[in-house]
Amino acid sequence: MDTVLFVVFPYVAVILAVGVGLYRYFSRRYTYSSLSSQLLENGKLFWGSVPWHYGITLILLAHFLAWLFPGVAASILGSGTRLFIFEAIGLALALFAAVGLIVLIVRRLPTNSRAGSVASGMDWVLLIFLLIQVFTGIGVALFERWGSLWYLSTAVPWLWSLLRLHPDTSTVVALPGLIQFHLVWGFAIVLLFPFSRLVHIFAIPLEYLWRPYQIVIWYQEPRRADQRVTAAGRPPSPPQLETRVFSPAGDQGSRSTDAAPPPVSFLRLPSLLLKFIRPVGFLPLDSFFSVLRTGCSHLTDPVASGEPLRPVASDEYLRSDGHKRMPEDLQRRSFLSKMAIVLSAIGAAVIAVPSLAFLLGLRKSPMVWRAVGKVSDFQVGQTVEVSFADPSSLPWAGITAKTAAWLRRKSEDQFVAFSINCTHLGCPVRWLPDADLFMCPCHGGVFYSDGTVASGPPPKRLNTYPVRVNNGMVEILASPLPITTTTL
Amino acid sequence: MLWLKKIWQWFDDLTGASKTAGWIVTHPVPRTKKIGWLYVFGSATLFVFLVQIFTGIALSSAYVTGSGQAYDSLRFITMTPVGRVIRGIHDFGASAMIILIGIHTIRVYLMASYKYPRQMNWLTGTGLLLFTVLMAFTGQLLRWDQNGFWTAVVAANQAGRVPFIGNWLGHFLLAGSTVGGATLSRFFAAHVFFIPAAIFLFLGLHLYLVLYNGISEPPKSGEPVDPRTYRARYHALLSRNGVPFWPDAAWRDIIFGLLVVLIIVGFAIVIGPSKLGRPPDPTIIQASPRPDWYFLWYFALLTLIPRWSEDWVIVLGPLIFALFLILLPLVAPHGERSPLRRPWSLVIVAFIVILIAHYSYVGHLAPWAPRLDAKPLPASVVGVSIGPIADGAKVFYDKGCEFCHQVSGLGGIRGPDLSFVGDRLTRDQIATRIFSGAANMPSYSGKLTQQQLSDLLAFLASRRRLPPVGPAPAGFHTAKDAATN
Repeated sequence: MDTVLFVVFPYVAVILAVGVGLYRYFSRRYTYSSLSSQLLENGKLFWGSVPWHYGITLILLAHFLAWLFPGVAASILGSGTRLFIFEAIGLALALFAAVGLIVLIVRRLPTNSRAGSVASGMDWVLLIFLLIQVFTGIGVALFERWGSLWYLSTAVPWLWSLLRLHPDTSTVVALPGLIQFHLVWGFAIVLLFPFSRLVHIFAIPLEYLWRPYQIVIWYQEPRRADQRVTAAGRPPSPPQLETRVFSPAGDQGSRSTDAAPPPVSFLRLPSLLLKFIRPVGFLPLDSFFSVLRTGCSHLTDPVASGEPLRPVASDEYLRSDGHKRMPEDLQRRSFLSKMAIVLSAIGAAVIAVPSLAFLLGLRKSPMVWRAVGKVSDFQVGQTVEVSFADPSSLPWAGITAKTAAWLRRKSEDQFVAFSINCTHLGCPVRWLPDADLFMCPCHGGVFYSDGTVASGPPPKRLNTYPVRVNNGMVEILASPLPITTTTL
Repeated sequence: MLWLKKIWQWFDDLTGASKTAGWIVTHPVPRTKKIGWLYVFGSATLFVFLVQIFTGIALSSAYVTGSGQAYDSLRFITMTPVGRVIRGIHDFGASAMIILIGIHTIRVYLMASYKYPRQMNWLTGTGLLLFTVLMAFTGQLLRWDQNGFWTAVVAANQAGRVPFIGNWLGHFLLAGSTVGGATLSRFFAAHVFFIPAAIFLFLGLHLYLVLYNGISEPPKSGEPVDPRTYRARYHALLSRNGVPFWPDAAWRDIIFGLLVVLIIVGFAIVIGPSKLGRPPDPTIIQASPRPDWYFLWYFALLTLIPRWSEDWVIVLGPLIFALFLILLPLVAPHGERSPLRRPWSLVIVAFIVILIAHYSYVGHLAPWAPRLDAKPLPASVVGVSIGPIADGAKVFYDKGCEFCHQVSGLGGIRGPDLSFVGDRLTRDQIATRIFSGAANMPSYSGKLTQQQLSDLLAFLASRRRLPPVGPAPAGFHTAKDAATN
């Protein structure tokens, strides 16, 4: 099974991905795109696309670079502080991506009009696959701490061994199930590559870097006419599909355009790194520069003319200024407000992630052997309470640092140490030597002297601690407080 | 007093206080006629919350948040005369908050004030109810005596029943793998910072909504809420028949609130705070953890439900209750408000109130808990002081039978009362039960010597009803007869 999951499946996935990908490139090149739906629904797209792409790109980059240069990664992460900061940033980015992905999924729901109605079955499969991968990744980050470090000695050797065609699964077969799932699922997504819109990763819109910016919007005039018609009581006509492209240069002002940019050959792969600098076509970086050029004159104008400062509703502002400048201003204002919210969210994340990490971080206490008395102190067939120091105790724990157990000497050389916690809800069980029973004072659970349930609500026998005899001393392996998990 | 007025005018001029916030004081509220006193519980909860804040701040100035020192610092607080009263106020205040918020919830539910447009009032109130319960729970834990310590363990074990993440969640609550130095700090932070912060947030919204949507008018049969017309009708009602909140409605709030506060302080002085139990030393096995009264019913419920349903109840029970509260205003935002037209609301309230009252009583008795503090039966009960019956009574005590079985009013009440077991069962039948045990009784097979068994049987067979008056009828066995058999 391990061979199938960690050797056969990855090879199948990669071979299919490359094969079908090449076929699709040479036969249907113009499907190498991610079929933009910006024109259909732009608001949620921003909130989904930007967090998702920035988050996942950086996360993937980290996975990729650590795989490429494990030595460098190990030396960078060698210090605890750096490791912590790195993990915290990684987790923040993953959450960022997860939020974006959820927004993108919500946007594609059938009830969400336009973007939902054009979602194909494969879009849905892909979204769900990505969602699962992101959440298992977050799960790994939260529950299997310091993945960036152990990744280097587990998954990285395995991936390299696959690349060298000498598969070696020894470093991954013993990993916890969640991590193994994450690894295999990654290859499942590789498998989806050529069948889905993921191919757009290789259609890098490099010319976005230098071409004048374009803003694709619904043409405004027909829409207003629509509203008037609706007000007059006639059914509204479907939205006009005519679009206009506005440009600061002014020379392309009325050219209609396709929303999806023509793809660029993925043979220009060296430009991959540039892709990471300017990953998303949807973020209006260009309008950011246009803001820098024009400044905030519309805010200062009323003051200069002596009018009192008052809030300007955006539609009112548009009407008084005419629609010629409108799209640019609208775009700038919407960009500024989005930018402010994104920046605030980043600021909040910077504070929240380390705080949450501190809160969620559990001290994993070492398991230590604690001596509880000489072998000769205990009589065969007797059960007595022994106390010892809790391994996880802090200096200020005081008397709570103590722990107790019921130690029974079964024979000359056999001891058993029962946890004092009832397996029902954790109350301390009492040993009644004459009755030869443990009784719980909370809900009346009763256990026999060997720890099995005699009566009452406990779902299972008393927990035990490992015991050993060392140099004539009885020692108990001090372990975490046993918690009875669900029996469902 | 002129100077006071001048200071106010100066302040008001600079801040605009009366212009911006003055309407809050005098905003119109519906005339409540006879049922005005039903509207005081929300404000009384708020008053007690303020009491809790002040006494809580006072307590926190002396409380030491360390697992090793908290108990001693609390003992110190309790020993000072004022500290004892402050602790008492905080303690009775907690009980008062639970009671008042419960009554307030019931009042709002019965009057269906959660319907349009006050759904959000109800939802924020649901949050406040939940947070209040959490405050009560974390608060009893902060007492950090033996009871508080084991409360933490029991909480972790209940959290452990959540599927998949149970173990992690349980240890997250304990802030480590065992109860130790970090545990108390975690619950302290929750009780003093996290939950109060959430309460402030929800309370602010709740009060704002009370002003924004207006206090609900007394319900009338035959006047269902219709979202399309409700606001207009409500405003017409206010302009036709409204009275200013201050002082026409507020005087009742003030009087009832003062009464509540006085009762709390009176109890705190006369009765004092909950006694501190033994120190939180996990090695002291002589512990019988019990929750404070507001959770006794839940404690009882968890014991008495069928075993197979336990995980479901622990995990789904609170979830379903919360879901009921959340869904209520969403699925029933319109329609009749009068409880007379909503008889099921009366049934539900009666059911919940009776359930909680009954199980609180049962939880107080805790009949399922073995009475591990039972004393050996005195000779007056046994009837003789030597012989097999007396020896049997000793076995009855030594083997733990008496912890669960009552004889002549002494001992536990988990199992059947054995005061007259000799009338019901023969010796053989008794012996069979002792050997085989039952769902709630361990088997004593192999735990008794032949001698002990015959003594025990002699003792139990002698437990017979004595005749009220007159000589013993034929066939009647006294304890002495049984002993000579």
